[in-house]
Amino acid sequence: MGKRLGWATVTVVFVITLNFFIFRVLPGDPARAGLRDPRLTREAIEAIRVRFGLDKPVINCFESLNPVKFGDCAVNPLQTQFFIYVGNLARGELGVSYHLNRPVQTILVQRLWNTVLLIGAGQILSVLIGIIVGVIAAWKARTSIDYIALVGSLLAWSLPTFWLGIILLFWGSRELGLPIGGKITPGMSFASAKELWWDVGRHMLLPTLTYTIVFLGEYMLIMRSTLLDVLSEDYILTAKAKGLSTFQILKDHALRNAMLPMVTIIALNLGFTVAGAIQIETVFSWPGLGGAIFEAVGRRDYPMLQGAFLLLAVSVILANLIADLLYSYLDPRVQAE
Amino acid sequence: MQATAAATSFRGFWRKLQRNRMGLVGLVMLVTAVLVALFAGAIAPYDPKDPVPITIDDIYAAPGGEHLLGKDDAGKDVLSNFIYGSRVSLTVGFFASFISIFIGGVIGIVSGFYGGRVENLLMRFTDIMLVIPDLPLAVVLVALTRPRLSNIIFVIGILGWTGTARLVRSQTLAVKQRKFVLRARAVGAGNWHIIRKHIFPLVLPLIVVNTVLVISLAILNESTLSFLGLADPTAVSWGQMLNYAFTRGATSAGAWWALVMPGFGIVWVVLGCTLLGHGLEQVLNPRLESHHLSAAAPITAARTERLARRDLARGPVLLDVRDLSVDFEVPEGLPVHAVENVSFTLREGEVLGLVGESGCGKTTLMLSLMRLLPAAGRILQGEVNYLGKDLLSLSEQEIADMRWKEIAMVFQGAMNALNPVHTVGDQIAEAIVRHQGARSKAELEERISELLDLVGIGPERKDQYPHQYSGGMRQRAMIAMALSCLPKVLIADEPTTALDVMIQAQILELMSKLREQLGLAIIFVTHDLGVVAEMCDSVLVMYGGVTAEYASVDTIYNVPKHPYTQELLKAFPDLSRPSEKLVAIPGYPPRLDVPPPGCRFAPRCPLVFERCNLEQPRVHRLNGDHLASCHLVEPK
Amino acid sequence: MSMDPIISVKGLRKLFPAGGTSFWRSRARFVHAVDEVTFELGRGEVLALVGESGCGKSTLALTLMGLERPTGGQIVYEGQDVTHLSGTGLKELRRHIQMIFQDPYESLNPMMTIGEIVAEPLAVHRLASNADTRAQRVQQALEDAGLRPAQAFLGRYPHELSGGQRQRVVIASALVLEPIVLLADEPVSMLDVSIRAEILNVLVELRQKRGISILFITHDLSTAAYFADRIAVMYLGRVVEIGPTEQVLKRPRHPYTKALLSVVPVPNPRLRRERIILQGETPNPIDLPSGCRFHPRCPLAEARCREVDPAFVIVGDEHKAACLLLSQDAERAEFVV
Repeated sequence: MGKRLGWATVTVVFVITLNFFIFRVLPGDPARAGLRDPRLTREAIEAIRVRFGLDKPVINCFESLNPVKFGDCAVNPLQTQFFIYVGNLARGELGVSYHLNRPVQTILVQRLWNTVLLIGAGQILSVLIGIIVGVIAAWKARTSIDYIALVGSLLAWSLPTFWLGIILLFWGSRELGLPIGGKITPGMSFASAKELWWDVGRHMLLPTLTYTIVFLGEYMLIMRSTLLDVLSEDYILTAKAKGLSTFQILKDHALRNAMLPMVTIIALNLGFTVAGAIQIETVFSWPGLGGAIFEAVGRRDYPMLQGAFLLLAVSVILANLIADLLYSYLDPRVQAE
Repeated sequence: MQATAAATSFRGFWRKLQRNRMGLVGLVMLVTAVLVALFAGAIAPYDPKDPVPITIDDIYAAPGGEHLLGKDDAGKDVLSNFIYGSRVSLTVGFFASFISIFIGGVIGIVSGFYGGRVENLLMRFTDIMLVIPDLPLAVVLVALTRPRLSNIIFVIGILGWTGTARLVRSQTLAVKQRKFVLRARAVGAGNWHIIRKHIFPLVLPLIVVNTVLVISLAILNESTLSFLGLADPTAVSWGQMLNYAFTRGATSAGAWWALVMPGFGIVWVVLGCTLLGHGLEQVLNPRLESHHLSAAAPITAARTERLARRDLARGPVLLDVRDLSVDFEVPEGLPVHAVENVSFTLREGEVLGLVGESGCGKTTLMLSLMRLLPAAGRILQGEVNYLGKDLLSLSEQEIADMRWKEIAMVFQGAMNALNPVHTVGDQIAEAIVRHQGARSKAELEERISELLDLVGIGPERKDQYPHQYSGGMRQRAMIAMALSCLPKVLIADEPTTALDVMIQAQILELMSKLREQLGLAIIFVTHDLGVVAEMCDSVLVMYGGVTAEYASVDTIYNVPKHPYTQELLKAFPDLSRPSEKLVAIPGYPPRLDVPPPGCRFAPRCPLVFERCNLEQPRVHRLNGDHLASCHLVEPK
Repeated sequence: MSMDPIISVKGLRKLFPAGGTSFWRSRARFVHAVDEVTFELGRGEVLALVGESGCGKSTLALTLMGLERPTGGQIVYEGQDVTHLSGTGLKELRRHIQMIFQDPYESLNPMMTIGEIVAEPLAVHRLASNADTRAQRVQQALEDAGLRPAQAFLGRYPHELSGGQRQRVVIASALVLEPIVLLADEPVSMLDVSIRAEILNVLVELRQKRGISILFITHDLSTAAYFADRIAVMYLGRVVEIGPTEQVLKRPRHPYTKALLSVVPVPNPRLRRERIILQGETPNPIDLPSGCRFHPRCPLAEARCREVDPAFVIVGDEHKAACLLLSQDAERAEFVV
């Protein structure tokens, strides 16, 4: 347990460092890039640089490429950009958005919950349906039901998420009158919580459907192949020899054993889940973290981009850790560690 | 996973792939896409680079006339854009995936082969990269550098190797531990030789399958990045087309052609890759895809005339099997005649030894008694009379009720015969509850402790998992579980084959004790003639699916009449007579899908004569309790 | 016993670190796979090394082959100390000592032809670079292993051959280097009973015709009895009894040997004998019992057996056993160096 926590921490540290350096090492002075306003005077630009801490050395003594003796560094290392950044992080500050001129963290935390809502609904549905279809397909392996489920899942897996979203949006908004984006209808006031959630629900329908279809395929395929493996194991024959019914065997023996790899797969999939979130939120203008990344890219709002990426990455790492712990809890063979 | 015979010859592989419909369809789809990309210049009606004067009517013009798929927001022909777009998508897909495969392959092989700190470091790095979500990082990297095609290829490539690395590493590890690698080392081969001649050829098929998957992912990634506005503006890919269409009002203009077509292209290529990958995997790693719960075939067992059977006056008959024949269906092949016309009886308290070598049909025979055959098994004829009732004529529900309660089984190698995620106690309880109804928790626990004690396992171990038991203990636990419903018959299929000789002695002693105490009848399946001599009252010797000889144990060992029995005894080392020369039986067991026309043993029999190759001998009765199927013992 | 053994092993030890070392453990734990083994293999002799799983016989073979580095002790081949050979020296040694493995289905690379497999050792040692000489040696080896006509097998793949034929290929690939010593690790346990005699007879022939010395490792006393000149019985990493086959079989002196011999099933239903069935299982080789390692299961154990680790006692012509109870009625007790 401690080991896993340790590695999660190492990964987070790596991500933070990576996050910082990408934005500093890659070409383009962020200040200039973010402010292509020709009206700004030199002093104004300088003031902005100071404000965002861009006048300090990136990291101690690496400003110029001349090898410098360590003791000669005149700058207090804690004053370098890297440590300022880390210090801010510790205080929960992710910088200030170039574009909106507000603290990044306040913007993003709101959006985080929207993303969780969307991802949560989509994942739950796709896992449930995927498992059910996968079980049926494995049970009826090599029959036409299996074949249809297989091809359907492969097709679902091959659809680009954003494209499926566009098609559903196109059809849904034109034929079914569903909203074309956002989380709630702008400018409306709601008499009760129930009305509010009904509106949100209407907005959530298409993006959730997109999400579900895209991930359904993968879960179904994994469940099917895992279950096929499990059903060929000797203990299934033992169970059958004991006189247990097919349903009982599926429930108590097969599914229990097949769920273990599923947990791992769901965890491994979290990266893809997030990728899906970016695409779906962009297409449906859903105010989540993924959409924030997209907007930040468009406006070259680097603090926002940096903050959103960090938040996303850390969430995925945490979720992975939880899945890891869950797996070791479920599998008695691992509990010995 | 193993690279099977299919991969050893390219021609065989190609043939198998052709028969795999999914793979073939996928291949055709991919080849079509590649051809379209290559010959774009010849196929496309317009060149997207040509400037075109446009009017307001040209924007999102509907399909028709010269423009089969309409025009886009800039008045350009959608079809042509679509055709040329394939070039960009495929180029990025292929090149990026080659980068990923190369990095992943090298990291995988190096870490898998060298192990130690190198592996640790590389795998930790891979795990970190695996956890960090790809797309956001790609977005960030491409956004910060200039969106040129080469950058995009590079970024997608260096982010896509983690899956390949893990796969290649685990396969390298698996191959590294195989005996032929150890043998190569024993010969004195160096690392490079082993990697080159042994590891790489066996990892390659997996890499090929993985490449197809990586290509599909790279294409998806490229299209997503383009859609998000990070494409190279000079190279219009399908994703880029969708970006333009979406951000420039195709939805509100109702221009479905501008939205559907590019996506269709992406789906076509990715689906082609997926189908091909799936097909390749099925060819290289064939899985039977039928399992223990596949629906069993209906039994068309016909009652046949009574042929010669044993008849010993000793205790009531429990099991009376007559002329049982079982076939196995083989996809794209002749059915395998696994068991043909086998008969035997089992009386109360009797231990019957079922002897034969691999492939002789003994396990199939046992499984068919309780109708536990896999879906491919078909019982063609015969009767399995248990206390007078024919088990083959019962319904599914009825036979399920009788399983374990009347006839229980102990399987070989109980490692996987017990479910690793349930405690041993729970699995025993399951059997009790199934046949004797629900009990109170205290009653169940008491019963389980009793059973475990009976087989010499401490009752405190009932809450442990199978992996916490040693091999001998697991076998005992299986015996305890088998006895939980007080069956009259115990079928033990090679119960001690995988165990040490001392543990085997313990288990055999246990079984003898149980037989005395509980009056159990036991069918003991084995290939060990020593164990049979020790444990059994009667012996059924099988060869090639048929009865070779069937008699009391004394008769079999002292006056065997079937040549196979005689030869088998001569081939078996005897500790009490160590200087006796062992004589092997030349040749190998017969193919049961195309069995020899006459006697199954004729090709290897030292006493063979002409008739043996033409006519299969019937089972002859020699005297009251001795049966043999050989022309030489045919009564005149 | 010939005065001039071809291999002499003295006090050989091979320990493996047992996992589970952490901050809290002050003492490292080891698996005592081979724990002070001493014996000699004479020229043209067949010595059977018999024991149950976990007794260390396979590890011993691997150590003799140089596939595992000894932790202690000495291995002498033809008068030369080869214990710590590596690199070219070890490779040179491998031309003289070759090994045959247990699993004929796994010992052959499924993607190589029989011809390639048997030729591989020649390529590794850069022998017979001339294609004709190579082909000749390969054919000779195949025929010596009983695969005739050799030509018919050269182009075939392992999966096309039966188990017995595959094992012959393994033998052929060991013979192609014309070794002087063969280590055969359970060469017949995975073969059908009717085919075992085939392989055993091949080995008998090799000893007779070529004078190859064979160390025959097995758990099957009956096979060992058929084939060997001398038998050594191993328990928990130590040789507990060693002597000429007939003597060990007729007059076993170590309690473990006696028990083992009494429980080996014999294909003779009329044979009545007293079975000494030891209780429990072989203890794990990490925490060795104190004193005589067999004492916890020994039916004749006395108090002193818990304290003193017995040395070999000579009990007959070339026959010794390590049991404290023997010192009383042996002609003389002797420490064998």
